[in-house]
Amino acid sequence: MKRRKGIKEGNPVYTVLLYILAALTAVITLYPMYYVLILSLSEPQFAATMKVYTLPKGLNFDAYEMIIADTKMWRAYANTLLYVIPTTILMIVTSTLVAYGLNYRKLIGRKIINMYLLIPMYFSGGMIPSFLLITKLGLYDSPLSQIIPACFSIWNIILVKAYFKSIPESLSEAAKMDGAGVLQILTKIFIPLGKPIFAVVAVYTIVGVWNSWFNAMLYLPHTEWQPLQLYLRRVLVETQATITELMDAEVAKEAVRRQMSTVQLKYAMIIFSSLPVLCTYPFFQKYFVKGMVLGSLKE
Amino acid sequence: MPKDKQRMKRKCEKGVMKENIQIYALMLPTLILIFIFCYIPLYGLVIAFQDYAPGASFLGEGVKWLGFKWFEKFVGGKYFFRLVKNTLVLSGLNLLFGVTAPILFAILIDQIRHHKFKKFVQTASYMPYFISTVVVAGMVISFLTTDGIVTNFLTFLGLPQKDYHIESDAFPWVYTITNVWKNFGFGSILYCSIISSIDPGLYEAAKLDGANRAQQVWHVTLPGLRTVIAINIIMAVGSVLSANTELILLLYTPATYDVADVIGTYTYRLGILEGQYSYTTAAGLFTATIGFLLTAIANKLSNKLTGYGLW
Repeated sequence: MKRRKGIKEGNPVYTVLLYILAALTAVITLYPMYYVLILSLSEPQFAATMKVYTLPKGLNFDAYEMIIADTKMWRAYANTLLYVIPTTILMIVTSTLVAYGLNYRKLIGRKIINMYLLIPMYFSGGMIPSFLLITKLGLYDSPLSQIIPACFSIWNIILVKAYFKSIPESLSEAAKMDGAGVLQILTKIFIPLGKPIFAVVAVYTIVGVWNSWFNAMLYLPHTEWQPLQLYLRRVLVETQATITELMDAEVAKEAVRRQMSTVQLKYAMIIFSSLPVLCTYPFFQKYFVKGMVLGSLKE
Repeated sequence: MPKDKQRMKRKCEKGVMKENIQIYALMLPTLILIFIFCYIPLYGLVIAFQDYAPGASFLGEGVKWLGFKWFEKFVGGKYFFRLVKNTLVLSGLNLLFGVTAPILFAILIDQIRHHKFKKFVQTASYMPYFISTVVVAGMVISFLTTDGIVTNFLTFLGLPQKDYHIESDAFPWVYTITNVWKNFGFGSILYCSIISSIDPGLYEAAKLDGANRAQQVWHVTLPGLRTVIAINIIMAVGSVLSANTELILLLYTPATYDVADVIGTYTYRLGILEGQYSYTTAAGLFTATIGFLLTAIANKLSNKLTGYGLW
């Protein structure tokens, strides 16, 4: 990377002010999560007051112990994995196949296909017609309702297509000269060279499915198949029930015995459920930055 | 010779045809999925003009056509004004702060020369985007309870101690701040990458002309971002009638319906929970149509004012 001069530092007072402002922004983004973390780790009697601001008061992992023993949470966790994995794989396959087709130079009816992909980006049937469709297809109350409607995305097709366009045409021409057909060119050239963009699509899909809850709420009425986010919604958002009613009876009893406050259990749940994504996103950064930049390029 | 060429051409065409068939075979499964999940719901919009009973078919015999009756009921209904007002207020606040925050943050970050510190602040700013909406809402609700951390801070500032989660006056700000907090970092990615691609020579030239830091931002950085800002504003204007339904559903309570209930949440309650399918489809179609018109108007304006647009 070459070093860019850009705007030259002027008045040092302003420079210091800008650094303070940037640091303040970082504090605002990180502190809420940090507060949740230290409170979940404090001794129960301090955690119950919610007045733990700088460092954990004492160190107590009981809340995490309770959560890990909660089979209902694990069931929801497993459901989420069940949705994330096939959706991500199918997403890469569906996007790649259409992007590859659109990249084929002599495609007949390209304009029609482009139009076909463009229309749904501006118009959609909305919540109710989609809901009725899912019901009619028999996907209501089925775990497939979380996979099939979510396993393709026009946005991802466009992303992969933009990337494929940057693969030199001379490569596929040369392969063609050697007698490679449509399928061979796809598997020998585009798939190996497309790995970076598959990573982008995978990261977007994993994060998207991991965090999604709305369609699960619409289509999955029974807790049996509900993903982690719906379990969290019951625990963290719906205020009618206390958390101990939602957990395993055994675990709940133990929580009451140890005088664990609902707040502390909730906060431990927040940390525990966000951990996988929070620990990995800094390493995925380059992928979603790349996706944003690629996606913004006009076709 | 020419005969040979013709034969070659024909052979080529045959090859092209064959390859096209193979290509279409590869694309077909996805195209069918798009047809089912994007196009059939569009066709399902016809129930907005019917008295649709669950389980019935959309067209054919026994369908009772009602014309624009549901639209009239929605527009003339007692909640219409409240819904439109709430939606516009919440989206307006988001347009004001949600669109500007990422731009300001990107400009701020660009001023930071210390590479590691810059990287740290940027990485930190992306974090909220990766926390799920459900967890964010759970945190917000807990922070706003009578002894939550935000309430404590507000009490410290001299405001009364109460459960701000069920305060109507607080809701628009709670919603806006949550939205901005969650999205400003991620939204700044594109701006940052564009700022870093601005020709350094432009800054040099501005400096030679005696421009100070603020003037350089105004005359060089901002014009460089013009296109993206225009596109983001067009999109935001187009979605002005579809406020962030998912976040509102998590944050609102019956106590705050008077300011928090928007067209999306109303559709969810009456449509999904109460089964008034035709009526709520009409409400949704009404909203989408106005949203599209607004996008078109904003696009036209942007084309005229800045020379850029979506189409």
